[in-house]
Amino acid sequence: MGFWLELAATGLITGGIYALVAMGLNLQYGLMRIMNISHGEFLMLGAYLTWLAHTVFDINPVAFLPVVAIVLFFGGLAVYRLCFRRIARTSPSVDVIEARSLLVGFGLMYLVQNAALLAWGADMRGYSYLADAVEIGGARFAANRLLAFGFAIAASLALLALLRWTIFGKAVRAMMQSPTGAQLVGIDTAVLHPVVFGAGLALAGMAGGLLSMVYEITPSMGEPYTVTALIVITLGGLGSAAGCLAGGLLLGLVEAFGMHFTNPSLKTLLSYGVFIGVLLARPKGLFAR
Amino acid sequence: MTANLRYTITAVLAAGVALAFMPWLLSDFLLSLALSCLMYVALASSWSMFSGATNYLSLATSAFFGIGAYVTAWGLETLPYALAVPLGGVIAGAFAALVGAAVLHLRGAYFAVLTFGLGELVRHSITYFEKTYARTVGRVLSDPPEAVTVYLTVLLITVATVATCAAVRASRFGLALAGVGADEERAQTLGVNTRRVKIAGFALSAFFAGALGAAMAVRWTYIEPMSVFNPFIGFQTVLIAMIGGAQTLLGPVVSAVVFSLFSELLRLQFPYAYLMLLGLLLIVLVLYLPGGIGSLFRGRWARA
Repeated sequence: MGFWLELAATGLITGGIYALVAMGLNLQYGLMRIMNISHGEFLMLGAYLTWLAHTVFDINPVAFLPVVAIVLFFGGLAVYRLCFRRIARTSPSVDVIEARSLLVGFGLMYLVQNAALLAWGADMRGYSYLADAVEIGGARFAANRLLAFGFAIAASLALLALLRWTIFGKAVRAMMQSPTGAQLVGIDTAVLHPVVFGAGLALAGMAGGLLSMVYEITPSMGEPYTVTALIVITLGGLGSAAGCLAGGLLLGLVEAFGMHFTNPSLKTLLSYGVFIGVLLARPKGLFAR
Repeated sequence: MTANLRYTITAVLAAGVALAFMPWLLSDFLLSLALSCLMYVALASSWSMFSGATNYLSLATSAFFGIGAYVTAWGLETLPYALAVPLGGVIAGAFAALVGAAVLHLRGAYFAVLTFGLGELVRHSITYFEKTYARTVGRVLSDPPEAVTVYLTVLLITVATVATCAAVRASRFGLALAGVGADEERAQTLGVNTRRVKIAGFALSAFFAGALGAAMAVRWTYIEPMSVFNPFIGFQTVLIAMIGGAQTLLGPVVSAVVFSLFSELLRLQFPYAYLMLLGLLLIVLVLYLPGGIGSLFRGRWARA
């Protein structure tokens, strides 16, 4: 019993992080059709910022999370201003926005990842924070994993609440449902788009900060998370934040149980298998009505 | 065959014949540089043939390239090189047709991400297969053909790719591909079987990438999934084609030569700075010149 609980919990812990990473990307894509393929690179930046703060200035990584979020939020505003605003304004159709933002995302990926390689080198970096084991119901977990899971779920739920119950969230949802209609009732795209883009990067940065407590980090760590985030978005449905949370947890479970029953080296195969399967069978997401 | 097309193909063949003398004129280093240039010319042209025309952004180039390379790696002991190369192309093309039939109804980012995932999927499958059944990580290609043979083979594939590109652009098939790119529903209304056209285009473009992979595999003597399925090959191909102008014939060719030279010279000394520059260039181009540099020269010779 304890073993199965541990396996399920391991899956959920990974899944919580997946959900957090995917949520930012999903917001950006759902709202602006910006498929920011460099999402994982900003996660990596968040991880490196936290690592730097902890190893150089000896700052508690958890206390530093808000700083990471704020830095990446303003970084996101700048990136939006420099790259994506022009695409949104000059593209004739949403298809074109999507294609061009994808390419700009690739450019950003190269730029950010190699800048990080130049600054910090390709070595694995890491620090030890709350690495002791905690025992819950006969299962043992590293404390930092539980912490990361708790934060990821809390941040995801906070975002869900924000979208559901605040006027800002209402504006975002309105914009997703009907961009023209939203503009007609006075929702300002020029404010909403950069803010949501920045929020997406802030979420990615926080996820990176949490991951740096658990795993070792490298400048190339982001890419797999981008792909995972895309899988989660596909599972949960485009633009759906709740679907994202469910999809993330589900993918975590599938990976954990799949690896147990087959082979750890099949992890990537499993998630791609899920991805392709869902795209073929239910391209609008598992929970689409 | 229109006069314009005949002119283009004659020019491509003439360039091919001229380049065929290079092994006896150039030093080993310059020859390997020329080989890289040819490889990227063929990859970028074959990519543009499908993705430039249809606006379906495929990131599967490295998957097809790697499949071709593994056909050589597995087959070279029993097959002659001259047979392994077209076989690599055919298998990559068949794979593309199969996958295309399943995923080509997806547009935009989904298609791009799925094709990227495809490369990873094939890479991980082969890694797993080799580890479990062959108990190796990579394979040593014993007794590879001579450098001149490899060069001439790659040259042949490159000439064939560029000539096919030109021929496709001038044909009904090419117009149908461009029609899919301009407005898929309208093309359908006008009687184009878009599904069949897309699958055929995707498979044709994969054929050349696969043949190229099969031909280039022997150059490395040691083959492992990480090196032949390197996503960088796919990314650089897309970058080259986009920067040169994926909708033109000459754009990808010129930009492939320029970038392979840059890449070989700068990547060794300043690997990170070079890739940063590449990324920056892509961003600036997409923002300010979305048609690529080739779109500036929409003259007679660029359209072919």
